[in-house]
Amino acid sequence: MKRIVYLPGIAGNPARSPALDILATAGWDIVVPDLPGFDGRPGFQPPDDYLGWLTVLWDALDATQALPCPVLGASVGGMLGADLAALRPEAVTALAVLAPFGIFDAEHPGLDLYAVPTADRMSHLFAKGVPEPFTDRFGELGPDEGPVARYLCDVAAASLLWPVGDRGLASRLHRITCPTLVMWGDQDELLPVGASAAWAGLGPVEVVAGAGHLLEWDVPDDVGRRVAAFLGAV
Amino acid sequence: MKLLWFHLMPYPELPPDFNRKHRSVWVDIDPGLFDPAVVAESYERYLDQLVYAEECGFDGICVNEHHSNGYGLVPSPNLIASVLATRTSRAAITVLGNSVALYNPVVRVAEEMAMVDLLSHGRLISGFPVGTSMDTAYAYSVNPGILRERYSEGIDLILRAWAAKEPFAFNGRFTQMRYVNVLPRPLQQPHPPVWIPGGGSVETWDYCSTRDFVYAALSYYGHRMAKETVGGYWRKVEENGKDPNPYRLAFLQFIGVADTDAEARRLYREPAEYFFNRSLHVYPGYADPPGYVTEASVRARYKSQVRAVARAKQAKHDLTWDEMVENGYVVIGGPDTVRETLEDVARTFNCGHLLTMLQFGNMSDELTRHNTKLFADKVAPGLRNLFPEAVDHWWPANAVPA
Repeated sequence: MKRIVYLPGIAGNPARSPALDILATAGWDIVVPDLPGFDGRPGFQPPDDYLGWLTVLWDALDATQALPCPVLGASVGGMLGADLAALRPEAVTALAVLAPFGIFDAEHPGLDLYAVPTADRMSHLFAKGVPEPFTDRFGELGPDEGPVARYLCDVAAASLLWPVGDRGLASRLHRITCPTLVMWGDQDELLPVGASAAWAGLGPVEVVAGAGHLLEWDVPDDVGRRVAAFLGAV
Repeated sequence: MKLLWFHLMPYPELPPDFNRKHRSVWVDIDPGLFDPAVVAESYERYLDQLVYAEECGFDGICVNEHHSNGYGLVPSPNLIASVLATRTSRAAITVLGNSVALYNPVVRVAEEMAMVDLLSHGRLISGFPVGTSMDTAYAYSVNPGILRERYSEGIDLILRAWAAKEPFAFNGRFTQMRYVNVLPRPLQQPHPPVWIPGGGSVETWDYCSTRDFVYAALSYYGHRMAKETVGGYWRKVEENGKDPNPYRLAFLQFIGVADTDAEARRLYREPAEYFFNRSLHVYPGYADPPGYVTEASVRARYKSQVRAVARAKQAKHDLTWDEMVENGYVVIGGPDTVRETLEDVARTFNCGHLLTMLQFGNMSDELTRHNTKLFADKVAPGLRNLFPEAVDHWWPANAVPA
């Protein structure tokens, strides 16, 4: 069985994207590390800084014993995946990133998601409507605890990105030596496609038509096929 | 009971259609709306009003800290406090900034507040608010998920620095310093009284009661809306085994006094509408950055119908004058009406420090002074004798009550 680590995006991982189903059908075992906060469990307190986050991620990844293997990271997960590849190159055999954070482009600042009223945030992540798994995330926890879990998931992502989502990755991209694929939605509100230029050092950016920020949900077939082809080629 | 005069120092000339044509009074407000000449004149007038409050017999005068906004023109309360320290001689200088999590290294706050304490000869009340979400997470871009930890660590460092007998090294989560040696030290030792402004955070109630700090309940939505907050605080005081000394609490209330109830309704309508519909016109997106509210407070929020209603109101920004009055956002009336209401509030809340908001919105200088004088002469005497048996352990050493 082939194995790949998937690092989900800014809204967590409420269900497996149909894009990942395509990878599974192609024979890939998809490993998703258990990142605190994104699961909405009570008692979450963000790490003090980005190094603290990387430590938490690496501990979670090492617990899966999945590495070394290819890594697919989306949004926030793209940033974490890129840093994993830059700082632990022996752990990542191939890297695919979908609209990754980590480098802020002041010429293309995009939408400040956390200056959008809470109830409206989700709609800005997708170009084709909010997928069902995201519409009632944590709803099974009930009217009291469900909103708390949603809030904590937001806290996790926001604390990774505050205030502009730049974690100095531009100065570390040159350390990524594995094969790479960079994809971007042409309707991404958070990271406008113009911001993708900063990632050109990893190779040509593949722009996906009709996709918003979480492109593996907006155009799962296209994204799934492209990632599968990339993995197949490497 | 102690009576303090609180000034937000608002920008007084936001246009009448501000809340229709502009998204927010905070964070991304159009800087073109501000006329520097108006700001300069406002500072002068507001400082005079604070000095006048001492002359009228108020026990303390208060300033606070806000950034990138038209709601309050005081990004640096220590600057205003330093002026007040030298222009007044008796009142407590109550600085309900500084938002310590915004400053790095935070010893700068310790230094400046020590200077204010010295300039005022020991009349400083050191207020340490977390700061609004607009000020902290947006105007100053501090990560809201770790804001409160930074804040708490900052206060610990300041208090230690003020009292330390010798230089020390500090290795905190957010501040590391080989040498901490704040000079000059404040006149009040081991430190000036600490007041913590709060808006209802569960953790803040616990923090204040365990550390023996004053909890200053700052709600702009009046005494009725504050009942839940104040009740929660006193329950926490009891849980932590502390005495119910009324001076553990300060409470802020908008007040308009006139010769008659009818006259008060006429006089204070415009400045109140200005404040609630223009000065508080905050874009809802700036109200709830993830992490700013603690998990416990979020949980309490979703279980509290009262706060849900309050939030809906706050988002509305088109409050009517009748709503403001009927809901107690503003306590207005003739002297007897105001005194009776405030006495009831003070007794119900067990509140020893009343923060009076007698200037708000675009209230003119003339009306501000009228309001202040009427309150001092005809309302204050009926309130001062409340809680005669209680001892105020949270009052500056050299501030002399009226």
